[in-house]
Amino acid sequence: MELTKNVTLGVYLPAETVVHRLDPRNKILLSLVLITLIFFIDTYLVYAGFAVFMVALQKISRVPPGFVLRGLRPVFPLLAIIWVFQFFFYEAPDAVTLVSFWIFEGTDAGIHMGNLIILRVLMLYLVITTLTMTTSLVNLTHGMEALLSPFRRLGLPSQELAMIMVIALRFVPTFAEELEKIIKAQMARGVAFDRGNFLRRALSIFRAFLPLFVNAYKRGEELIVAMESRNYTGGAGRTKMKTLKMTRLDLLAIGVVLTFSVLVILLIFLY
Amino acid sequence: MSIEVRELNKSFGVGTPFEKQVLFNINLQIEDGEFVGIIGPTRAGKTTLAQHFNALYVPRAGKVLVDGKDTADKHTDVSELRLQVGYVFQNPEHQLFKETVKDDVAFGPEKQGCSTQETDRRVREALELVGLDYQTFYQRDIFALSGGQKRRVAIAGVLACNPRVLILDDVTAGLDPRGRDQILEVVSRLHREKKLTIVFISHSMDEVARLTSRTIVMDEGRLVMDGPTTEIFLRADELEALGLELPQVTRVLRMLHREGFSVPLHLPTLEEAVEAIAGALSSTGVRNRWN
Repeated sequence: MELTKNVTLGVYLPAETVVHRLDPRNKILLSLVLITLIFFIDTYLVYAGFAVFMVALQKISRVPPGFVLRGLRPVFPLLAIIWVFQFFFYEAPDAVTLVSFWIFEGTDAGIHMGNLIILRVLMLYLVITTLTMTTSLVNLTHGMEALLSPFRRLGLPSQELAMIMVIALRFVPTFAEELEKIIKAQMARGVAFDRGNFLRRALSIFRAFLPLFVNAYKRGEELIVAMESRNYTGGAGRTKMKTLKMTRLDLLAIGVVLTFSVLVILLIFLY
Repeated sequence: MSIEVRELNKSFGVGTPFEKQVLFNINLQIEDGEFVGIIGPTRAGKTTLAQHFNALYVPRAGKVLVDGKDTADKHTDVSELRLQVGYVFQNPEHQLFKETVKDDVAFGPEKQGCSTQETDRRVREALELVGLDYQTFYQRDIFALSGGQKRRVAIAGVLACNPRVLILDDVTAGLDPRGRDQILEVVSRLHREKKLTIVFISHSMDEVARLTSRTIVMDEGRLVMDGPTTEIFLRADELEALGLELPQVTRVLRMLHREGFSVPLHLPTLEEAVEAIAGALSSTGVRNRWN
């Protein structure tokens, strides 16, 4: 069964690499820069370049590429549906129709759009996994909290927001494990998840999510009690054991990413 | 209905950075009608092994034959198999998913294609078997049950499928002593009356000692002991070395034995142990309530 096998979001792979040692605030900001960049790229060549950069980055941080790709498997069907949708329903003024029947009109612009969307999702995924796999949850919280703290003055509950984000991430593998147990328990009573038409399978999956939601609420309640009994009263005035420090390594990283970004922007304009 | 395991090896996360082998070369055979206990420290692989018995895991290395049928064979009807080999999970919250007791227990028989009458009959029987009065409980909301009651409903839900093998995975964990005794009484009765083959996984040596006729001891994915319960529990030093806590009665008898009292070390019930100890004490001239 092993649902957790393909869960890559929220999983931290500890190692001693330069990327791991970077200040999390830096990593988060640089990730945002890269993500913003993704949405400006519109040629396959530049995407290829971006992909090469990310793969190199993952190689340096010892993130196993096979593992990363695995995490995409559950999403494949959804991506396929999106692609097909774009192919048949995307409208552009100078599109050339390739296939046509009933209300479906497949265009070359549709293919291009479908590809673009998938590539963007892929690149986004690569950036995010690089971030989460090289940054422990504790560091991610610190980083996010530190970055959001200037907005405290405007009334933004930065610490609490950071806490919410991290708790959500932290529970992804837990819920995957729990879902697996629930599915097994239902399989043990004769529910078949791998047979039947689409409707039946959808119903089976829905049946499995019900106990999961109920348990999620219960966990939430338990977590509240646990946090309160450890005197958690919100973010105001909380201090840290380890403070974040920017090092020369961080400056180097900023340099690298900015150089890369400039290159990409240049390429975008040239083509 | 017999279960045969040959050269079973199992790994998790094959192909990921988290790959880990959890079962090493397991060989065993469980005959029809046996009451087998599986004990071992946490992470020994007990649940993983047991989940091969109802084809929740299908072996890639080794063979598992249930009622002579290979679970890895594509032609074997696993859904049918899973109704014949009932599995009660440790946490009933994972197992119960309908709103009322009746609906949940009826789920299995309905899946098997039973008529409304037959389903009703089975639900009643299953609830009676686990000691829950039908009239009181059949309309009850699942959320309104206590831990012990939920567990019994989970067992009832499995029993309603008329399985020939019953696998109980740590079913007494987290129960108060009374709830535990109730469950154990149910299990014991099931074996006596329905002649089911029972596989009982537990962390409690007391329970295993009390109920089973054969015990399998696992450690770190390997089968380290397999034999009649009374014999296994004589190997107290080995069991303690594995980190297992001996049954309370055994521990007391060993302590007394070490101090020079002539008491038997084999596995008696609490009553027998009391008699033996009283006897040993009276022979030293110490007066007690029993002599």
